[in-house]
Amino acid sequence: MKKTLLLMISLVVLAGGSYAQKLKGSDTMLPLSQKEAETFMKEGRGNVTVTGGGSGVGFTALIDGTTEIAQASRAIKMDEKLKLTEAGISYKEVIAAYDALAMVVNPSNSINELTREQLEGIYTGKIKNWKEVGGANLQIVVYTRETSSGTYEFVKTSVLKNKNFASSALSMPATGAIIQSVSQTKGAIGYVGLAYVNKEVKALKVSYDKGKNFIAPSIATAMNKTYPITRPLYYYYNTKVTKKVMPYINYVLSPEGQQIVLKVGYVPLSK
Amino acid sequence: MKKIFKLIAIALLVMTIKPALAQEVEGTPTDTLGAAINKLQSAIELMQRFKITGYLQAQSQFSDSIGNAFAGGAFPAGTDKRFKVRRGRLKFAYNTLLTTFVAQFDVTESGFGTKDMYLVVRDPWTQTVSLTGGVFNRPFGYEVAYSSSQLESPERARFTQALFPGEEDLGWMVTIQGAKTSTWNWLRIQGGYFEGNGINPASKKMKDFIGQISINKASMDEKIKYGIGASYYDGGVLETTANTYVLNNGIYSKDASQAAGKFAKRQYVGIDAQFSAESGLGLTTIRGEYLNGKQPSVAGSANSFTANPTGDLYLRNIMGAYAILIQSIKGTKDQIVLKYDVFDPNTKVSGDQIGLKATGFNATTAGDIKYSTIGIGWIYAYDANVKLTAYYDIVKNEKSKNLAGYGSDLKDNVFTLRLQYKF
Repeated sequence: MKKTLLLMISLVVLAGGSYAQKLKGSDTMLPLSQKEAETFMKEGRGNVTVTGGGSGVGFTALIDGTTEIAQASRAIKMDEKLKLTEAGISYKEVIAAYDALAMVVNPSNSINELTREQLEGIYTGKIKNWKEVGGANLQIVVYTRETSSGTYEFVKTSVLKNKNFASSALSMPATGAIIQSVSQTKGAIGYVGLAYVNKEVKALKVSYDKGKNFIAPSIATAMNKTYPITRPLYYYYNTKVTKKVMPYINYVLSPEGQQIVLKVGYVPLSK
Repeated sequence: MKKIFKLIAIALLVMTIKPALAQEVEGTPTDTLGAAINKLQSAIELMQRFKITGYLQAQSQFSDSIGNAFAGGAFPAGTDKRFKVRRGRLKFAYNTLLTTFVAQFDVTESGFGTKDMYLVVRDPWTQTVSLTGGVFNRPFGYEVAYSSSQLESPERARFTQALFPGEEDLGWMVTIQGAKTSTWNWLRIQGGYFEGNGINPASKKMKDFIGQISINKASMDEKIKYGIGASYYDGGVLETTANTYVLNNGIYSKDASQAAGKFAKRQYVGIDAQFSAESGLGLTTIRGEYLNGKQPSVAGSANSFTANPTGDLYLRNIMGAYAILIQSIKGTKDQIVLKYDVFDPNTKVSGDQIGLKATGFNATTAGDIKYSTIGIGWIYAYDANVKLTAYYDIVKNEKSKNLAGYGSDLKDNVFTLRLQYKF
């Protein structure tokens, strides 16, 4: 009788806790959210599923009601706010961490640093050969993210000053694909969140003051704000499900959650 | 001999094993999973090209008198209340990067009809220039092309309903707008030639030109969005009789320069503006349009034709305008709507001039009466699919002691309660 009762209680508890809250959106935030979710679940705090697709995909899912939390590497757009209002959805914005965006090239590339103007020239197609920026006589191959990506939007605004990417730029569906392509193509250049940088690619030093100071992307330079290409990473959630999502969001914002931010290679909110 | 047989046996064995091994290498779980995912992805990409959407608007309306009111169609005589399926739409769309096909149908208790039926072909190099052909929204102003499912007021402004009945027309149009990734995406230029009779297949020799330039931008911090546009309509209505009347000193006289077979000028110029901003209150949206021009129609009404006319034409100088304020209440599913719209179907006559008679001339009529409407509404977004609208139209008409029935303001205010389902 006792065993049956215990089994029934366990089943009820499991059934109650088995509904996973969903996170969807930014590819940049995937490694962070996956690690946070993993630890959150290991500690028995609840169930979380995390999928990517890009910041735009996350916002669409929030509007459609197919996700509780949209993760985004850019701020919500006015059009998306209007659609949420039309759908009767009130939302809250939370900054979960910061990210330094690294410009990466193939490790065999002799170039170690570029100015913002040079990066703009390369990504817009005005600069077509590495020799034009002091490198080898090698055609530049530009890799970029899809237009639904918040990282794409951020680079277009911050680095390209709203100019268009070159029509020859190769669009990749995910950050991992950029790392793979850049590592396999000698003349390649791309951009990825700092957490994705590994030994297969080389991160460049960047100058936003026309070559006076070149800064390498790192957590330290992002935290002391010397690295110029940093941005907030957001969670947006439907206020209707505040009770359900707050345990996870509070966990991410807690000292333990921010330690995970640091470990995965993102920039925590505060030291 | 034995050695030869052994060698043959070994060779046969190797030939059997090698393909088997090769199959094992090709068939690793990761490869199999990858191939399956690729197949699924291709299937999903194909399915994503095809979309079915639709909406239904069921409503109750109450007028403050019997048989007088107009709100998305005149009230039938003898009633001040009605139930109606105001709109029932089913839309099928197929999209590729360079082409689009759309078929939209109107399905209500009144029957089944075509609403949109068009194709779009975009240039393959920049996706900046596109050609649209079929039955689609006239490129004039803002409200004409604004989806009826998104309209915050139950109906479009009176002048929009009068001048662009049904919103759609039959024709061809070229659109120039940078691709979504282009720096020029905020600018759109559209122009085309249309039959001018709405979706009815009534042809005439002279086609109507409709053109529009519009810009749409958001601030860098995405807290403000704004747009402005300018539109132009240049066309004509076929004169099928020898009698076309123009206004002279407040009364209609025959225009000797017109004749059967000629075209009476139909010409409008319009401007529109939109502004949305986020604040502590919520999202605030203000939109407005203004139009003036020349309108050929019949004696008793300034509405546009939906077929080639069969009677005498009356030429009017018209003016229409509206302004609408939509305020969402932060943290709620509610929006408040305030709208003012005015339609003067004949700017050259007013007040007691309307209805004045003179021998040998035709008097102005109810078709020359100016209307202004103040609308107050509340919208509740139950969820992403369902919306409830409660809206009250306060309608004021121009008064004339010389026109029977228009000595005072008509009792034609209307309260609309509408439930919409959209998918």
